[in-house]
Amino acid sequence: MALAGTTAFWTTAAFADWHRALAAEPATPAAPRYFTAEEWRFLDAACEQLFPEDETGPGARTLGIVTFIDQQMDTPYGRGGLWFMSGPFEQGPANLGYQLPYAPREIYRLGIAGADRYCRDHYGHAFADLDHASQIAVLTAFEKQPILLGGTIPSGTFFEQVRTNTMEGAFSDPIHGGNRHLGGWVMLGFPGARADFMDWVDHYGPAYPLGSVSISGETV
Amino acid sequence: MNTINADAVVVGAGWAGSILAKELTEAGLKVVMLERGPDRATAVEGAYPESIDELRGAVRHRLFQDLSRTTVTIRNKIDQTALPYRQLAAFLPGEGVGGAGLHWSGVHFRAAPDDLALRSNVIARYGSKFIPEGMNLQDYGVTYEDLEPFFDKAEKVFGTSGEAYRVNGKIVGNGNMFSPSRSDHFPLPALKDVYTASLFRKAATDAGYHPYSLPAANASRQYTNPYGAQMGPCNFCGYCSGYDCYMYSKASPNVNILPVLRKDPNFTLITRAHVMRVDLDSTKTRATGVTYFDLDSNKEVAITADLIVLGAFQFHNVHLMLLSGIGKPYDAKKNEGVVGRNFVYQTITTSRAWLPENHFTNQFIGTGGGGVAIDDFNSLNFDHGPHGFVGGSPVWVNQAGVKPIAASTIGGGKDAPRWGAGYKKALVETYRHALAIDAHGSNMAYRDVFLDLDPTWKNTYGQPLLRMTFNWHDNDIRMNRYVVSKIEPIMKELGATKYQLGMLEPGQTFDTRLYQTTHLGGGAVMGDDPNTSAINRYLQSWDVPNVFVIGSNAFPQGMGYNPTGMVAALAYWSAHHIRTTYLKAPGPLVPV
Amino acid sequence: MSRVRFALCSRILPVIMLTAVPTALCCAGLSAIAAAFAADPTGRPANSDPDLIRQGEYMARAADCAACHSVRGQPPYSGGVPFDLPMGRIYSPNITPDPDHGIGHDSEEQFARAIREGVRHDGASMYPAMPFPSYARLTDADVHALFVYFRYGVKPLATTPPASTIIWPLSMRWPLIFWRGMFAPAPQVALKTTRRTFPDTTIARGAYLVEGPGHCGACHTPRALTLQEKALTAADGPLYLSGGGAVDGWHPPSLRQENRTGLGRWSEDDIVAFLREAGAPLGSAFGGMADAVEHGTQYLTDNDLHAIARYLRSLQPTRMPDPAWRYDPATETALRQGDVTARGARVYVDHCAACHRDDGRGYPTVFPPLAGNPVVMDDRPDSLVAILFKGAVLPATRTAPSSFVMPSFVRSLSPQQMADVLSFIRSAWGNDAPPVDVETVRKLTPTGGAPAIREMPLN
Repeated sequence: MALAGTTAFWTTAAFADWHRALAAEPATPAAPRYFTAEEWRFLDAACEQLFPEDETGPGARTLGIVTFIDQQMDTPYGRGGLWFMSGPFEQGPANLGYQLPYAPREIYRLGIAGADRYCRDHYGHAFADLDHASQIAVLTAFEKQPILLGGTIPSGTFFEQVRTNTMEGAFSDPIHGGNRHLGGWVMLGFPGARADFMDWVDHYGPAYPLGSVSISGETV
Repeated sequence: MNTINADAVVVGAGWAGSILAKELTEAGLKVVMLERGPDRATAVEGAYPESIDELRGAVRHRLFQDLSRTTVTIRNKIDQTALPYRQLAAFLPGEGVGGAGLHWSGVHFRAAPDDLALRSNVIARYGSKFIPEGMNLQDYGVTYEDLEPFFDKAEKVFGTSGEAYRVNGKIVGNGNMFSPSRSDHFPLPALKDVYTASLFRKAATDAGYHPYSLPAANASRQYTNPYGAQMGPCNFCGYCSGYDCYMYSKASPNVNILPVLRKDPNFTLITRAHVMRVDLDSTKTRATGVTYFDLDSNKEVAITADLIVLGAFQFHNVHLMLLSGIGKPYDAKKNEGVVGRNFVYQTITTSRAWLPENHFTNQFIGTGGGGVAIDDFNSLNFDHGPHGFVGGSPVWVNQAGVKPIAASTIGGGKDAPRWGAGYKKALVETYRHALAIDAHGSNMAYRDVFLDLDPTWKNTYGQPLLRMTFNWHDNDIRMNRYVVSKIEPIMKELGATKYQLGMLEPGQTFDTRLYQTTHLGGGAVMGDDPNTSAINRYLQSWDVPNVFVIGSNAFPQGMGYNPTGMVAALAYWSAHHIRTTYLKAPGPLVPV
Repeated sequence: MSRVRFALCSRILPVIMLTAVPTALCCAGLSAIAAAFAADPTGRPANSDPDLIRQGEYMARAADCAACHSVRGQPPYSGGVPFDLPMGRIYSPNITPDPDHGIGHDSEEQFARAIREGVRHDGASMYPAMPFPSYARLTDADVHALFVYFRYGVKPLATTPPASTIIWPLSMRWPLIFWRGMFAPAPQVALKTTRRTFPDTTIARGAYLVEGPGHCGACHTPRALTLQEKALTAADGPLYLSGGGAVDGWHPPSLRQENRTGLGRWSEDDIVAFLREAGAPLGSAFGGMADAVEHGTQYLTDNDLHAIARYLRSLQPTRMPDPAWRYDPATETALRQGDVTARGARVYVDHCAACHRDDGRGYPTVFPPLAGNPVVMDDRPDSLVAILFKGAVLPATRTAPSSFVMPSFVRSLSPQQMADVLSFIRSAWGNDAPPVDVETVRKLTPTGGAPAIREMPLN
């Protein structure tokens, strides 16, 4: 039976395994699995600009988004296992999609190094040490201008990678390390893994009243 | 090399494959079904609440094709270099038992009768000059009347919820007034309207249109199908599209057919078996079996069989035909050959309305197949004469359950910031108070849109990738823009505080990076003429008559409706003729 | 089912050991008797009439032989089902007709004695996991059919299950003789109760199936301190099928006519549907009963299932007073308004209502109701705790081929949340069972083993 993977584990493992796995889960965020301290500092600052703490709701720091991204680097996704990564790698028009030989973890490694170098070259400091307005200016430039970071990663590719993973970290189930205390879901009004609206389908107009719940059972 | 013997081998464990395997085992054949992905069970990976995980599901593609092994290359124009589709985005083929039939949404249409003979109908109404240069407009070679018993059978197997308009010629309810007469009601009543669907129903009525409940293979109550397989009721959890339904209420091969089929001693399912080719004898007019790559032993295995059914995803069926030498490959320059010809897609655009702040649209509530639609601008239900385009588009609210990561991609709609505080504010407002209206339309076939083998890139088995040459054409862009313009009156009736119409732009290029739809079609189409179709009206290869090719590859053009209902009906139709005619005297069911 | 049933013996044996030791000196004499039985020559050849084989196969299903003697994925009746006991593990024997590894050498007389009296061909006593006190009631005709089936209708298989890991002196079986003598009825006596007077022949047939081959009392009748069933037939009094002791975490409910905690509100058709398809309007099979339906009752004829149902419906309630259950809409009204202030209500809507609904009525027969479900109102919450930990799978049957899963909640609910939600469902919708405290949940927490889902067929 080919049912490898985490779900198969969770649904078929013995109780003892479950309890061991749960007990092993740290109460506080673990040390970085993939990113260096400098990379973490970059992401901590960049993600907070992309998803800032404000009157609408919690920001990247509160939600643990960098922890989420760090953990994702240690998955098949982070290693490029979900992508077709056979060569040759030829570049073409943007609408034909990603054509670089780099997995997400490499996009981050090369992209962050290139981005910090860009900041030092243009602003004299690493990204994390720039003031608010300069950080915004740098991110806007990365998003909209054709800058090649470190000579390898187009800034748009890097920017979209960080932006995409930031949103994933804000809004995925907290079991993946982000959306801490379901803060992202509460902000949106998303009820989470309850997944039952049989008695709410025909309540037309009012906001859904119940709080959010994670797959883990964590609630608010 | 190992060799296995069977009466029939079925490639792919999705809807097409499972229906054929069920029908052929019923006929007493020893059937082997091959699936390159893993086995999948609701009880294991589909179970609540672990399966309710957007990141692992729709975002990290739990049930979708593993691109790391094989993909396609894509280009827009014939003089371009096609590049690999390295990341799943524009379309999402399934993998594993159930195929795309496990992760689909559940919208379950019958075909519009006029669409099945679109070329004849357009010519009859508007003359042959109405068909634009370069468009390969064709008829299916089957009529609605031919298929009606099989649409009916598929609905009963799927446990489809809906409201009929006409049964045996008599008007019986508030269903789609443009839909043809049916031999029976839907097996289950229509699903309840979610809030946004109820608003659309009223606004569309007030705008003078004719709304109806979308036919949905999401059970509106508990159901037992003719095979004895049971479904739970849909509770509007919203985890249909991209997921395996933990409530057992969305129809899938896994829930509706395989519980019975797996117990049949004549049936064998082999998973992690990637079919490399159909093996032909020296005459190239008879298949002797298939060869697959066993992902566990890393060895090739041959199966000999008298009857071969290709039931893989649309473009995988075409790919296998090209790799095996079944049928003449299409040559776009000469507009000759049939395998790869008439590759089609659909035109999907989303418009959005925002309601006042005291109206919560609760977009997370929903069901994949449920909603309210209008057909006033679909098929030949309106006069195309003044507009000069072929095709049409249903328009609907199909609130399939908007999950938060998907919502973050939508953000605050057009012109809203993409990040920062402004982004967050617009995102939350949109998630809480907006609703989406889709135009889900047809896409015609063109000489310069086709499938062939890529000259450069190969899959992990060393075989050339399939190459897609695809771009939007003016006819379909104008169709989409016309239909979307007809949404405006609905927007005005909705009481929206603002709205944005989403439509294709003139000259727009197909973008592989944005999800549009997985409704790919054509490439090995059915028809009455072996010069323009790869398979006959029974979905039998013209060239290798013991090969049947079942799927949306048979569609000569992309219709306005979702394809699964048509694929299922064609599967039962083909199976019926295999059982009643072919098995008694194997050979071409239509003389060449 | 097999493991469930045999868990009883883990409690039986220490008691037997204690009573047996003072008489250990008789050992030699008893061994001589055993040897005499073993030497008994093979009986006359039975005929292999296909009708008789079919009748025997049917009785084997009615007696649920496969539950203990067949391992999923292995040839039928080749044994090897493990039973974990405190003093070690034993395996059920191969009962295919293989002469060396199975029971192919047994005479019909030896076979009958094994079935009815729990005595092996070598004279050794069987562990009373083998429900011979019930099988004692089997008619000669049925025993003959079973013999013919197991001789000619089952494929011989030359495999021996793994050896028992119980070490001497605990591995001695002779003390079981005394248990048999005291608590298992002699076949002649048992057969007499089979032939007692019934209101009609249908109920008589039902009684035979339930009290005899079906051995329902093995799980559903309470046991004495020495762990024999307190009643072996309805004629033995109102304790018969009044609910068994918890085994392997599951607590078999009463099958008598209690309105709330028994089958008082189940129609004859409900009981028939339950036994044939594992799901009925008022409840679904889980735990050990899922196996019983899968291996046994789904194969019974309509007439026999109706006979069983009619007989069960003739058993008067034991528990008194027995006020009728009435649906109370208060809980549903509160939940539908988003009011989750009741103890356990939030846990219920977060984790349970998706399938069992705010109104507690579920979606039978796919997802069973909790409102009015006798198992939910049972005095003992053992089964409820067990199902939260282990999950459950509704078995696929011939007429209902889909199997539905209830996942394990061990990962998402703490013991306190389990106690809260169980207390909630036991008092909502008109249910009236006492609350469950967290200590009870902790005490009933399974110590090992995988959720039930692991071994079940995929769907």
